[in-house]
Amino acid sequence: MSPVPAAALLAGLAAAALLADRTISVAAIALVLFAICLRAPASRRRVYLLGAMLSGLGVFLVSPFVASIGSHVLWSGPTVPVLGRLDVTSEELREALFQGLRLTAVALAFAAYALLLDHDRLVQAAGFARRSVLAIALATRLVPTLERDAAGLVEALRGRGVEVAGLHGRARLVSPLLAGSLERALNLAEAMEARGYGRPGATRSPQPAWGGREWLALALGALAVVAGALWL
Amino acid sequence: MALARVENLSFRYPEAPGPALDGVSLELERGEVVALLGPSGGGKSSLLRALAGLVPHFHGGSFGGRVEVAGRDTRNTRPAELAGDVATLFQDPEDQVVFTRVAAEVAFGLENIGTPSAFILPRAAAALDAVGAEHLADRRVAELSGGELQRVCLASVLALEPGLLLLDEPTSQLDPDGAEEAIELARAAGAAVVVSEQRPDRVLGASDRVLFLDRGRIVLDAPRAEALDWLARNRPAWLPREAELRGREPEGEPACRLDAVSFGYVPEKPVLADAALDLRRGEVVALTGPNGSGKTTLAKIAAGLLEANSGTVARSGRACYLSQDPGRYLVRERVEDEVALAVDGDLERARAALAELGLAGYGARHPRDLSSGERERLALAAVLVAEPDLLVLDEPTRGVDPERKDELTALLRAQAHTRATLVVTNDRVFAAAVADRSVSTADDREAALV
Repeated sequence: MSPVPAAALLAGLAAAALLADRTISVAAIALVLFAICLRAPASRRRVYLLGAMLSGLGVFLVSPFVASIGSHVLWSGPTVPVLGRLDVTSEELREALFQGLRLTAVALAFAAYALLLDHDRLVQAAGFARRSVLAIALATRLVPTLERDAAGLVEALRGRGVEVAGLHGRARLVSPLLAGSLERALNLAEAMEARGYGRPGATRSPQPAWGGREWLALALGALAVVAGALWL
Repeated sequence: MALARVENLSFRYPEAPGPALDGVSLELERGEVVALLGPSGGGKSSLLRALAGLVPHFHGGSFGGRVEVAGRDTRNTRPAELAGDVATLFQDPEDQVVFTRVAAEVAFGLENIGTPSAFILPRAAAALDAVGAEHLADRRVAELSGGELQRVCLASVLALEPGLLLLDEPTSQLDPDGAEEAIELARAAGAAVVVSEQRPDRVLGASDRVLFLDRGRIVLDAPRAEALDWLARNRPAWLPREAELRGREPEGEPACRLDAVSFGYVPEKPVLADAALDLRRGEVVALTGPNGSGKTTLAKIAAGLLEANSGTVARSGRACYLSQDPGRYLVRERVEDEVALAVDGDLERARAALAELGLAGYGARHPRDLSSGERERLALAAVLVAEPDLLVLDEPTRGVDPERKDELTALLRAQAHTRATLVVTNDRVFAAAVADRSVSTADDREAALV
């Protein structure tokens, strides 16, 4: 399938998750997106799924302590400066679950986009805002690139007989990883400039025509947005 | 009229202590192949960047003199506007890839310079075909070997059909056949070609003219025959050399033995099948073979970084492995701390190792402030410092100039008796100079490599 309608469908599902009012609806959308992500190879999807789940879990765990809604108190804690009284109500838990699922659904939509779509064709298909689409495609590659760089650093350290163990050992790799990433970004920008990027009058490779599946995906994406706003 | 003209060019990078280019003048004519030689940090890459307009537009710094390409003054023309007239192949292929798939990557430059849509894919396919990479068109870039990626990058610049082709160490990761093809292809394109190379044997034969840059100045600009005489008198290390690989019988106590080893990163694509390797203490073994034939994989298995899917691996003592990518040896904030990592922070040993690699006095500097050649030597010091029983070096001469290469050869030979050394290399001259014998992953991978 062409990546443009596929991206539209994923964006529609993410928008539906943000527009829906009911927890069960958001949970169903998240489940659908989770199932879509499972089509990616296990080795590649692990980081994305873990990130999506942890983000949602983080919201679920933190937000009851910072929100102040409801009157059915389940637990009452101390008073903390700035935050006020730490208590957890059943309404806050319901809201935390709802918001946590929302974030998970949006993160899963991004994961599916990053894992399953052909970003090259997406950039090439972009009739307008090509620079923005390319910037998003390059940013999407950041996670796998950092993952590969981290593996390379760990391998080079093991090659010197230095084992990277524990959180502290891995944390020490963050700075060189970021520095390396910035250096690579500069080199890439230079290479892109040298290959004419940003020059007026750019053309596009011919794109295959859309078939029934492409139009169906586009329609489903639009339907998801409408359903999220009106019925879910 | 000259295709490119450089007049009294001087350039200093921002915050650099000295000029990268100092009073450089030259002219380039369409159809000539120019070999650009000189030590690491001598200004070769800076000159190529100046010809592409990247200096000063992209890098800033102070710029004096004048560079004119295809009748346009580069001070008034952005590099992107010069693209098409000029095409640059950069040193590190991994840092110039924009797309995730090969065909899209080659098409990128063609799209940018406004090639009519109907011609983009045929020209991209023709360029891939020319570099022998047509079979890679649908592959993901991340799955390619270093040599395959370099071919793809070469195809990306050849597809532009430029008037001036700038190649910055285009053969650093190519096997010898691929390297010769690359230079010939550049010549056949009819463009003026400037090839910066650390392996003169790969470029001198194909060049019409030779430039030698040292400390930012052109110290030689002459036709090839005259240049060979000059090199013989002044820089003999840069002369092409005969490369006769030695074939001694393995001797000494075993340090590492691989028997019937098979390996694949994914089960359906085996990289190695029933491979064998025997390394003995006291010998240096060169592991050669075409790009993508499993050299690095075999080396990593020997060093214990990869587990074989089947077969046996026996190793005695400590093994150390030097990666192809010196960027992986930039973990600490100071050069000496980086080297000391492998010896539990022993700075004395780290300083001694740095001195052996010509980096004495660099200990307090940040590793990222080093030039590419210096980074190569830092990486080597970071591995050698551990004094391993088995030393595995993966393409240790990538980006290293011939004079430094001779020093590395002497160092490895002097220390050879203390360990077993496996050198993965496509540098035939280096392999012949450093190795007692060579093994190859070429042709029949099921044959024993011993």
